[in-house]
Amino acid sequence: MKQKVVVIGAGIIGTSVAYFLSKKNVNIVLVDAKDIASGTSGACDKAIMLQSKKWGPALELAIQSATLYKDLEQELQQDLEYRQGGGLILIDNEQDLKVLQQTVEKQNSIGLNVKILTGDEVRKKNPYLSEKIIAASWCEEDAEINPMLTAFAFAKAAHKNKAILRLNCEVLDLVTENNRILGVQTTHGKIYADSVVICSGVWTNQILKTVQLEVPIIPRKGIILVTEKLPKIIDCNILSGSYIVSKLQKEQNSIPYGIGLAISQTKSGTLLIGGSREFVGFDESIKTKIIRDIAKQAIHAFPCLDNIHLIRSFAGFRPYTPDNMPILGEIPSVQGLYIAAGHEGDGVALAPITGKLMSELITNQKIEFDLSPFSIERFLESTIS
Amino acid sequence: MEKTCICRCEGVFLEEILQAIDEGATSFQGIKKRNRIGMGHCQGRTCQPIVRDILRKKVGANSLFELQKAQAPVRPVPLGKL
Repeated sequence: MKQKVVVIGAGIIGTSVAYFLSKKNVNIVLVDAKDIASGTSGACDKAIMLQSKKWGPALELAIQSATLYKDLEQELQQDLEYRQGGGLILIDNEQDLKVLQQTVEKQNSIGLNVKILTGDEVRKKNPYLSEKIIAASWCEEDAEINPMLTAFAFAKAAHKNKAILRLNCEVLDLVTENNRILGVQTTHGKIYADSVVICSGVWTNQILKTVQLEVPIIPRKGIILVTEKLPKIIDCNILSGSYIVSKLQKEQNSIPYGIGLAISQTKSGTLLIGGSREFVGFDESIKTKIIRDIAKQAIHAFPCLDNIHLIRSFAGFRPYTPDNMPILGEIPSVQGLYIAAGHEGDGVALAPITGKLMSELITNQKIEFDLSPFSIERFLESTIS
Repeated sequence: MEKTCICRCEGVFLEEILQAIDEGATSFQGIKKRNRIGMGHCQGRTCQPIVRDILRKKVGANSLFELQKAQAPVRPVPLGKL
């Protein structure tokens, strides 16, 4: 009999897991309480950046994921607005430049091609950049993709490979017996399975609490501004140095609202301007002050934006973990129950590799990647000690 | 009829809305994520009530509760004037 797997969550992670599983000899049911990309994956930007990743296993994961992205449009037979246009991290002061130089040296040491450009060099790449930018790091490998299109394309391709999609179908309970998973209880009845994968991002604990488990995944709110459509003025991903500082800072925010610039232009011409990072639970409200501060940062880097219209702002909840790394693997206390969540702002970048590795793990294949740094056990141990 | 343009900002036609519903969308948000309806300059001011009527007819759900979230700004504002 074929192995049967239930994947919970149809965001970019869950749809990727379902897609990679669907290429193997497995029966799959992908369930979501709402719709494809209805949560975090539909309220984010579109960067696949390598140079912004935390040093260590997360970067190695991102490098492998970036390689998978290169052929994904062809594999899924769909335009995903993928573009390897490179990425810049802008620097406007000497102190940040020193920190960046050290980071770049480390990145070069593992073969990631990042170089420091002077202010004039970077303005040659993008003439709209402010004179206040004194330097930037440039990584040719950085790319971008439309995350919503990607999630839909993964789901469609999985469906083509006979995966069953159950939307508007909420998981109420995990069904277990003798520390083994038997399936899920949903609003539309029970679904039995040999394995269940939780890809529920910030909502992971809602599922896990039904088996008295908890993981330290906390919603971190990020606000993004959308401008009117413009002719092409930005053709790569652009972050500010403060974005990186804010990304890696802990719960005690030293930067108010964790504001750091992340700006890119969509295929349709709008600019996506981020962002903020706040721990405020699931409060979706958007403070005017934050919108104003993000806009100020954008104008600081690109003075020409002063008169460009903001048409919308939106808030998304990123699944933060205390060590900025996702949780990937089997849950030791419940056999057959897996988790792939907690990617925070790296979910888009890490989606393909997450799907690939999880599909290999669940089908007991040999995995050519050490997943132990991402194990849930790192958090279980810390609660004991 | 199917060639009727429903969202002029993003150029979305009736047939694309019906297709999105066929693919499983049951809300304005769901249709929007499939074809960009309501994502343009007017932010769904014109197309949203029309889509709501289509949803009510096709899905039957109480789509009054399925509208796009109201997000700042209320109307387009220059970034430098915020």
